[in-house]
Amino acid sequence: MSDSTRVRLPLTPAKTPLPSAKACCHEIPQHTAGVDAAVVALVGAPNTGKSTLFNGLTGSRVTMGNWPGTTVEVSKGVWRTTLQSPSCNCETCTCANDESPLAITLLDLPGAYSLDAHSPDEQLTRGLLQDGPVSERPDLCIVTIDASRMAHGLYLVAQVRELAMRVVVAVTMSDIAAQREMSVDTALLSRALGCPVVETDPRRRTGLVPLAAAVRTALADPVPAPRPVPPTDDALVLDDDRFTWLSEAAERATVAPGNDRLTLSDKVDRWVTAPIAGPVIFLAVMWAVFQITTAVAAPLQNALDGFFSGPVSHAVTALLTLAHLNGTWVEGLLVNGLVAGVGMLLTFVPLMALMFLLLALLEDSGYLARAAVVTDRLMRTMGLPGRAFLPLVVGFGCNVPAISATRILPDARQRLLTVLLVPFTSCSARLTVFVMLGTVFFGTNAGTAVFAMYVASVALVVLVGLLLRRTLWRTMGAEPLIIDLPAYHLPTLRLTASVVWQRLLGSLKTASGIIVVTVCAVWLLQSVPTTGGQSFGQVPVEDSVYGVVARTIAPVFAPAGFDQWQTASALIVGFVAKEAVISSWAQTYATEQPAPGQTGLLGDHIQAAFVQSSGGHPLPAVLAFMVFLLAYTPCVATLAAQRREVGLKWTLFGVAMQLTTAWLLAVAVFQIGRLFW
Amino acid sequence: MSGPLHLVLAEITAGTPTLTEISRRTGLTLDVVHAAIDHLVRAGRITSTQLSLGCPTGGCGTCSSSGGCSLPAAVGRRRPGLVSLSLTQRVA
Repeated sequence: MSDSTRVRLPLTPAKTPLPSAKACCHEIPQHTAGVDAAVVALVGAPNTGKSTLFNGLTGSRVTMGNWPGTTVEVSKGVWRTTLQSPSCNCETCTCANDESPLAITLLDLPGAYSLDAHSPDEQLTRGLLQDGPVSERPDLCIVTIDASRMAHGLYLVAQVRELAMRVVVAVTMSDIAAQREMSVDTALLSRALGCPVVETDPRRRTGLVPLAAAVRTALADPVPAPRPVPPTDDALVLDDDRFTWLSEAAERATVAPGNDRLTLSDKVDRWVTAPIAGPVIFLAVMWAVFQITTAVAAPLQNALDGFFSGPVSHAVTALLTLAHLNGTWVEGLLVNGLVAGVGMLLTFVPLMALMFLLLALLEDSGYLARAAVVTDRLMRTMGLPGRAFLPLVVGFGCNVPAISATRILPDARQRLLTVLLVPFTSCSARLTVFVMLGTVFFGTNAGTAVFAMYVASVALVVLVGLLLRRTLWRTMGAEPLIIDLPAYHLPTLRLTASVVWQRLLGSLKTASGIIVVTVCAVWLLQSVPTTGGQSFGQVPVEDSVYGVVARTIAPVFAPAGFDQWQTASALIVGFVAKEAVISSWAQTYATEQPAPGQTGLLGDHIQAAFVQSSGGHPLPAVLAFMVFLLAYTPCVATLAAQRREVGLKWTLFGVAMQLTTAWLLAVAVFQIGRLFW
Repeated sequence: MSGPLHLVLAEITAGTPTLTEISRRTGLTLDVVHAAIDHLVRAGRITSTQLSLGCPTGGCGTCSSSGGCSLPAAVGRRRPGLVSLSLTQRVA
């Protein structure tokens, strides 16, 4: 009854013959309706049901898919158009009652959004419909458009209507449009477009007979006058003329909820992206995230801490005793170093998992996109480049990929400025230190203390950014940027679980490697004596290389209230990686770490150190320490990434700026804070 | 001339943060705004980038979502997520 084949048509390079729709049809006569038969081309954007319609009309099968560009070949078939007979109620058959069936050669051209030839598919379609001689073009063109996204398809209609060609528009996907409470008035659309418009459903094979009737009528009529276009060489002006035309047609023929009708997402967005309410809501949400994280994770951390400091440590000690290694440097390295360090890391797994889960839920639900709008607006208000907020947001996870992410910034000065600002974003490695100190010093308000550090981080980025803009980069322009907000939706379990797992695994892999190496290095430095008469591994920590270096540096922090050498040593180790700060403390004090939510021995040591160094003002001193930790160099990996992106000179400038900023802020926090606490 | 494309470009330049807001300000339907944005992306006048917040610390190599991250957002398809659109500087 029908027949079809698929042929590859040449594209249209500059000096090759232009493709001919009719010549192609004559190449394989057995697959055409005959030399004199009309040639109809089926065109349309991908995913508008074009290939399905082709199958329905010809009865053939071609590959169908939902991905743009699936139809990469030209399919050809015979369409035996039938007009519904009064005695036949069947729309789907090629009815034998039709006294004058008209066979048409039907071409299924590749999916194309336009005739602008931005892709090979569009280049081929353009070659067949526009660039070739008029006599070689199809006799008629059926353009399929998606009723639920009509404006997307009408641009192609506008271009085809500018050609000397018969055009019939087939409106598909009406069922999807109906689900969105949209409908298309085909009569009004036909009037607006100046060509027949037929509603069809290729999947259910409805509307095929009216389409056949419209095509046969159009073929019998003369070629209509092309749509007039403005006489201009400016492509944007020409495109805009088409959009004006299609916008008016779509508005006239579409019955839709309209812009005045607000969806639930719109109503929520009115608040969460508002200039004042938006930032307040964002801060409240983030405070809740930190509060929930610290409160819920605390009992789990306690249990894990008890497990590693109890049974695991005891088991390792027992094994070492069996091997006659108890009391030696091996026990120090394994029990107080590796078991304590890695155990400490694992106690933070519940906390990190919970935080990643909450952030993934916010991201998957669509809220974080709104938060990005709020952040972006803040950046603009401060005169900073809008796009810079993207790597900065990534920086709250880890500074290293954030440095790499600055490559999205087109301007070299914007890139440099953002690279210098990224280290001030509080990465997840700092989070563990903040949580530990918050729990030891602020008890149930630990979540608020951690939240304050994140607010301080944002403030640092903005203030340092403003300072650099006012001094080094006064002439830098802002890059316009807009955000496509997705509708809110319920997070999916699979995606959320996948994101949490990936982020947790990544964090653990990085942190475990860093901690093992750092624990060994710290142990080595703590084992090397600086005075005679002491042997390797049998030296008090304060007399080791580690202790002497820390004691030399510690006085620098006296104005900030934390000049105990043990505290200074943690900052030195933190320069390498923040993940190792707590484990180095644990090694220094040669005891197990505390669990958040309850003050353990390490917490007691740390608290005593801050009380002593601050002259009885531990709270401002620990806040100053946390601010210093936030503002100074995040880790050597970040430095390596900075050097790769902006060179050694600017990396060293950044380190100097971070250390200076951190010290000044820490001193200010302590000196002002001690007046009140 | 102030057709839909010029209106949308003007809103992007002015810093209008979302497509919904562009639709509200220009009076164009959201469908036309989306079509205009997609057309401008295809024409190379703006750049569309699918973004991913909170990447894993191990970098893109450790992320199962890396295939859909930081790549030009597919024209004609809208996935839930953050998409940035920025003007492309064109030499006259």
